[in-house]
Amino acid sequence: MTTIDRTGYKVIGTRPVRPDGVEKVTGKAQYGADIRLPGLIHGRILRSPHAHARILSIDTSEAETIPGVMGVLTAKELPAADDAIQDLGEGAVNLRELSDNVLALEKVLYRGHAVAAVAATSPHIAEEALKKIRVEYEPLPAVLDVRDAMRDDAPLLKEDRYTKSMGAEKTDRPSNIASHNQFHAGDLEKAFAEADAVVEREFTTKMVHQGYIEPQTSTASWNADGTITIWTSTQGAFVVRAQVAEVLRRPVSSIRVIPMEIGGGFGGKIPIYLDPIAALLSKKSGRPVKITMSRTEVFEATGPTSGTYIKMKMAAKDGVITAAEATMAYEAGAYPGSAVGAGSMTMLAPYNIENFKIDAYDVVVNKPKTSAYRAPGAPAAAFACESVIDELAKKVNADPLEFRLKSSSREGTRMVNGIAFPRIGHEECVEAALNHPHYRAPIEGPNRGRGVASGYWFNGGMQSSVVAAVNPDGTVNLIEGSTDIGGTRASLAMQLAETLGIPYEDIRPSVVDTDSIGHNDVTGGSRTTFASGMAAYESGMDIRRQMAARAAKLWNCTEDEVVYENGTLRCTKDSTKELTFKELAAQQPRTGGPIAGKASLVARGAGGAFATHIVDVEVDVDTGKVTVLRYTAVQDVGTAIHPAYVEGQMQGGVVQGIGWALNEEYYYLEDGRLANSSFLDYRMPTSLDVPNIDTVIVEVPNPGHPYGVRGVGEVPIVPPLAAMANAIAEATGHRFTDLPISPRRIVETLHGLEE
Amino acid sequence: MPTVWVPSLLRPLCGGATTLQVEGQTLGEVLRAADARCPGFFERVVQDGAVRPELAVAINGQAENYPLHEPVGDSAEVAILPAIGGGGFSNFEPRERRPAGG
Repeated sequence: MTTIDRTGYKVIGTRPVRPDGVEKVTGKAQYGADIRLPGLIHGRILRSPHAHARILSIDTSEAETIPGVMGVLTAKELPAADDAIQDLGEGAVNLRELSDNVLALEKVLYRGHAVAAVAATSPHIAEEALKKIRVEYEPLPAVLDVRDAMRDDAPLLKEDRYTKSMGAEKTDRPSNIASHNQFHAGDLEKAFAEADAVVEREFTTKMVHQGYIEPQTSTASWNADGTITIWTSTQGAFVVRAQVAEVLRRPVSSIRVIPMEIGGGFGGKIPIYLDPIAALLSKKSGRPVKITMSRTEVFEATGPTSGTYIKMKMAAKDGVITAAEATMAYEAGAYPGSAVGAGSMTMLAPYNIENFKIDAYDVVVNKPKTSAYRAPGAPAAAFACESVIDELAKKVNADPLEFRLKSSSREGTRMVNGIAFPRIGHEECVEAALNHPHYRAPIEGPNRGRGVASGYWFNGGMQSSVVAAVNPDGTVNLIEGSTDIGGTRASLAMQLAETLGIPYEDIRPSVVDTDSIGHNDVTGGSRTTFASGMAAYESGMDIRRQMAARAAKLWNCTEDEVVYENGTLRCTKDSTKELTFKELAAQQPRTGGPIAGKASLVARGAGGAFATHIVDVEVDVDTGKVTVLRYTAVQDVGTAIHPAYVEGQMQGGVVQGIGWALNEEYYYLEDGRLANSSFLDYRMPTSLDVPNIDTVIVEVPNPGHPYGVRGVGEVPIVPPLAAMANAIAEATGHRFTDLPISPRRIVETLHGLEE
Repeated sequence: MPTVWVPSLLRPLCGGATTLQVEGQTLGEVLRAADARCPGFFERVVQDGAVRPELAVAINGQAENYPLHEPVGDSAEVAILPAIGGGGFSNFEPRERRPAGG
């Protein structure tokens, strides 16, 4: 389904091979752990065995005497960080907490919290040396659940933290509730009193990890001139540079970050963990230092997404949703900064609801500091909202999609924060789902059910910078600074090729380091194809202007008399004068020298994305196994630059969402130990667990982008949690409100075996 | 005249108003004008000469790191939101620049 005219595009909408594909499938692509440098030594981290403890002393003397050990580090050697919150664009971080999460100074706040580090000539020596470091702890009571942490008598992670509430401190006594926010409009009491149907439920979700296949890794060299070079796996080299600069109190210009190929991130490779440690160990040893996490370290010490508690009440009257009330509490982990803000703003976005109140709480617990995970905050919010909507639809005897369509947001609808939507595509998504053969097909058989759900994600803009240099043979080097996670070398190259009217294969994209291009914000927020794509487009237009000027000079006419069309320049007053892009590229030395287009911008006009999903499941009521029989994901993508990569994003998001719904959870023991910190025990879906995910690309172009691009990477993970729960409710007759809906939970619930 | 969408938690400062129409050609002027009507409003939104890092401002629906001197059109809508958080698409942007050393 599309509302755009594709006939004008030659490159956009095609499915070429990605420029980095051959190197990746032949094993030649360089990832962070592949770095080999002369004199390279290896770092390892000592981590806390306690979920919450005061550090009384750290004795590293014995470790330092081990032959082969070239440096030992504790937090005391990190420069003192300011207790100040710094601007993150769409987030914020306290510098002291950032530094404290890299190496704990006074207290450890979760099991796995880094307390010391060793660099040695071999990883084994480093590991042996860790065993010789003596840390004396005073164990403290830990709090692991968001609701427990909110209690007045809960152990405090920080004794002087008070709840902030829109710029003011709300409480007069310390609390684990770091912040409270609220959205409120209309008359809830009246709406609930006058409703035809009201549903109220409580929901919980567990902490889950992004599960990227490549662990965090960093290699750092503190050079003789005081500069630092870092090779790392990151979603944003410039953000690594800025964070390392703050933690080490060095100017950003002294730090060069070289982004290696990345083996997945999903939001989890934005924070830094290892880079400052590797840099300081390099300074101490005079050698480059490489540190690569084990999978257990990744689970225990890098940012998962929040566990949540959400209480949700909604009402309907005359077939439309009239009121919504929610209390949302998100675990932030050891330091404030969960994605509850995003969750609270996305929860009701698909619907036009007159009366609402949402209270959102950011709560610290003794678990790793959460970080972004694909549409951060939104999936748990949609799980609650879309589950309740499903029940409401049943209560008023409405088809669940028709019910959603009747209350759908559209252009002009205001979000809970007061912002009016520009042109959006939720109605188109629901209509496409309604008309899809999957939805029209009957679902028959015992213990089978069908579920649907919608979801929203904002998508981001932010800063991007590219340079496009024209080669004499008519190819173009596209120099960019956005990490390529999901095929953005291709999607940017395609937009530049379209702009220049030349073949995609003639664009040679490169992702370069922080010394080699202007600032680029992270690859995240589904922003790269939108924002860096906009920069690629602008750089192409820059080249076109320069080429028109060259042609005008050659043809002795004005630039206004030169037209650029489909990769050919023509003189409007003399039809014999014509040059192809390639011909003019060859004449660069004789017409004024090299041509390079450039664009640096803050991309405005990001278009939000909606998705509506349909899933059929079968539940084995004896074993609790849920089989996904069929799954269809419908999504408004604006314009699909490379449809195959768009479909891949949609399918990947769905599979992660299915894992979140059915199996994935951080399983903590009472003493704060994580019991399933390996892929053997942390159950993620494999290709054997899911059917082919059918995709329906809806194209409602974003008016804020020259080619109508919206972001595509995040919204596909928003609906699956609720869609799965709705399907399981249909199949079993029981409404599950706690994730994961694991085999154990299903069996215990359906057979009355719950404790 | 620009319209300010008053966040729920700041409405007690504004007598319960959900929107305010105020004079102002820049974001800072608009927030100051809101403060004149709702004493305390400016300090709840601004700290050290910038929008508080835990908040974001949207002008005509576009949320960004606007400086206080950002021009605001006559018919602009200004909304104050919580920052997205969770590092969804965070951009770490240090305000201070320190001399090299150490």
